[in-house]
Amino acid sequence: MNRYLARRLLLFLPTLFGTLTLVFFLIHLVPGDPVEVMLGETASGTDKETLRHELGLDLPLWTQYTRFLSGLALGDLGRSLYEQDSVSRLVRARFPATLELTLTAMLLALLIAFPLGIIAALKRHSWTDRLSLLFSLLGLSMPNFWLGPLLIIVFSIELGWLPVSGRGTLAHLILPSATLGMAMAAILIRMIRSALLDVLHEDYIQTARAKGLSEQKVWLKHALRNSLLSVVTIIGLQFGTLLAGSIITETIFTWPGLGRLTIQAIQTRDYPLVQGCILVIATSYLLVNLMTDIVYRLVDPRITYGK
Amino acid sequence: MLKFRPRSFLIFCWLGIALPGCLSSSQPDRPPGYLVVGLESNPTHLDPRYATDANSIRIGALLFNSLTRTDQNGNLQPDLAERWETIDDRTYIFHLRKGVTFHNGKPLTAADVAYTYRSILDPKNRSPKRATLQFLESVDPVGPDRVRFRLAEPYAPFLESTNLGIVPDGSRTNDGSSRQSLIGTGPFALEEFLPGERIMLKANANYWGGSPAVSGLIFKIIPDAMVRVLEFKKRNVDFLQNDIEPDMLPWLRDKAQASIQIAQGTTFQYIGMNLEHPILKHREVREALAYGIDREAIIRHLLKGLAIPATGMLSPIHWAYESSVPKFSHDPERAKRLLDQAGFHDPDGEGPLPRFKLSYKTTNLDLRRRMAEALKQQLSEVGIELEVHTFEWGTFYADIKRGNFDLYSLSWVGITDPDIYFALFHSRNIPPNGDNRGHYRNPEVDQLLEQGRRSLGVDERRVIYSEVQKILARDLPYIPLWWAKNVVLTRQGIRGFIPYPDGDLISLKNVSLSFSNPEA
Repeated sequence: MNRYLARRLLLFLPTLFGTLTLVFFLIHLVPGDPVEVMLGETASGTDKETLRHELGLDLPLWTQYTRFLSGLALGDLGRSLYEQDSVSRLVRARFPATLELTLTAMLLALLIAFPLGIIAALKRHSWTDRLSLLFSLLGLSMPNFWLGPLLIIVFSIELGWLPVSGRGTLAHLILPSATLGMAMAAILIRMIRSALLDVLHEDYIQTARAKGLSEQKVWLKHALRNSLLSVVTIIGLQFGTLLAGSIITETIFTWPGLGRLTIQAIQTRDYPLVQGCILVIATSYLLVNLMTDIVYRLVDPRITYGK
Repeated sequence: MLKFRPRSFLIFCWLGIALPGCLSSSQPDRPPGYLVVGLESNPTHLDPRYATDANSIRIGALLFNSLTRTDQNGNLQPDLAERWETIDDRTYIFHLRKGVTFHNGKPLTAADVAYTYRSILDPKNRSPKRATLQFLESVDPVGPDRVRFRLAEPYAPFLESTNLGIVPDGSRTNDGSSRQSLIGTGPFALEEFLPGERIMLKANANYWGGSPAVSGLIFKIIPDAMVRVLEFKKRNVDFLQNDIEPDMLPWLRDKAQASIQIAQGTTFQYIGMNLEHPILKHREVREALAYGIDREAIIRHLLKGLAIPATGMLSPIHWAYESSVPKFSHDPERAKRLLDQAGFHDPDGEGPLPRFKLSYKTTNLDLRRRMAEALKQQLSEVGIELEVHTFEWGTFYADIKRGNFDLYSLSWVGITDPDIYFALFHSRNIPPNGDNRGHYRNPEVDQLLEQGRRSLGVDERRVIYSEVQKILARDLPYIPLWWAKNVVLTRQGIRGFIPYPDGDLISLKNVSLSFSNPEA
């Protein structure tokens, strides 16, 4: 396990490096000039050239890339061109909000998906099963930009239970995390249902029943635990979707997170800030996937990861 | 081995990260007497030396005073300067108002004014406004309350440049950490700046022009148009200016009990053209495009009447506006005749084949896309096929700056001095180092524009720019579309706001509230 972990950690770095390299070249190839954003349209050609030189933007792309990497190796993400502030500080200020939103969305998705998925499998073909499948279908079909305003209209405007937008209290967290977590919950309901139905035909379930265990114990201790493996995979993969979806959700709910900062950085061609945001997003995604692998091992101790 | 429970683990993670955040950050309550303004985008730099986006400039004007300020009729008025004298055509002396203090209690002196301008001119400070002040040779204090501006050459738009907010001598230059410590002389002082969330200003009780009627202002950043309106309905926002979907106005009036003020604006929407394009270089074609567009229909249906058809860049409220210029009302038959005259015949009469195709670039904003569809439909009736390309703003703008377009549409916001024509249509300003993006060349216009910036008399300049407007309406380097109206939405019980044509929010200092704040 430890060797496996070490190997995964070693793979972690090249993956991150690949992502950052790709993003570095892509953002530099997209049309747009950060110097013009900084100095304004009316700046003279000489001033623009001087600033371009000061920022090193006149250097060959390859040299800029090696400079970026050496800065990164020293833990220096540089300064935002547009915000004129340290990238680390800007990202640090926004990341907790995004993490809070995505983790709550994930938790909410799990809290919805597990009971509904289990009930759907337990009462197969009943009206509760059909209802949970309908919920799942709706969750998958509704895009965030539509679901968000809909939830606001119902729960904030009509019922007046929750705040419309912003971040602050737990109440502020409910609608954005529900919007973000809905698609994940929808996928998980179907996954849990089908995984449970699959294992029910396994011999060890029949054995458990033959031993005289109560149906509740058979389901919770034997069936559910063994069906978790595929569910854990989906949770890990879905985390990336949650991070990507947070960009739209953050805009709708005025959530001051990293998604909105990333969009702003891309629009203003703020190269160091784009890199900083992507670094954090990619690292989170890779870490969650690493955690998923660890959880695999913990869920099913039979899994070994080669020597 | 420890028994691992994934759900417990996730709950633990969440509690560790989310709860401290929730408990530590306070709910953005509004303190009593505060007015909440909804904003579409985050102001980036409130420091007047760096503020370039509209929201930064508008909020900055509440924090900082400038030597002069334009009133709601577009006329220059004294602000920190009580008066000014023109010593010669290159030298001006400004007499500062006495008894003005900064928010930190320090009295305003001529040294502060000189420092503000000098720090912009210092290339080290990378101010985006440096280029606009290149005509300044020196700015020097003459005693504690007089400042002398020396110009490199006579420059008529100089006085417009004195609407720059004044910062105290020695203020830090652009640095993210200096954001929280901006000090001005304005009616409001900065209380809190949370980028992407909100900006809180508190009323300056010692303001030299009299303390504002409200206790403070909260600018809430709400990027989504629908959510902005819903926050208004929920009474979490009291004031919205522009950036409101025209379709929502009737609902707001009926369901949200909003007071709606609609006032003349100066924002000018136009179609820019590449005059080096083999088809668009023909004046008849540009004229045919102008006749082929039904502005009235777009204004009526898409903009719900929130604009008036434009005849040129300067709106009728501008002192240099010229009304006797050719006007292009919708006339498809005339457009067809003009295209025939230019040699672009319709290959199959009323059939589906176009006379020619042109590419039209625009941004991916919903209203812009719908506008493009309307233009495409209207121009197809005269035999011109528009290929609409929508882009994300950065890519779109880079293409426009590079001259990589046939047709595009953009707007000019906050036009003050007619010297803007120099930047946009003088042949010296053809890219890469200028904004004459359509590559317009006319020696007569060049000469008039040079004369216009050198002539100091208003009457003399009015004659010059009248001629410029007539020539441009004939040559059509831009097709004027409309001047957008300003829409101001206030909760009932808010009084005293006067909309400015350029969207200035300075009048918020006169606003009074006669409602009690809602529950948080």
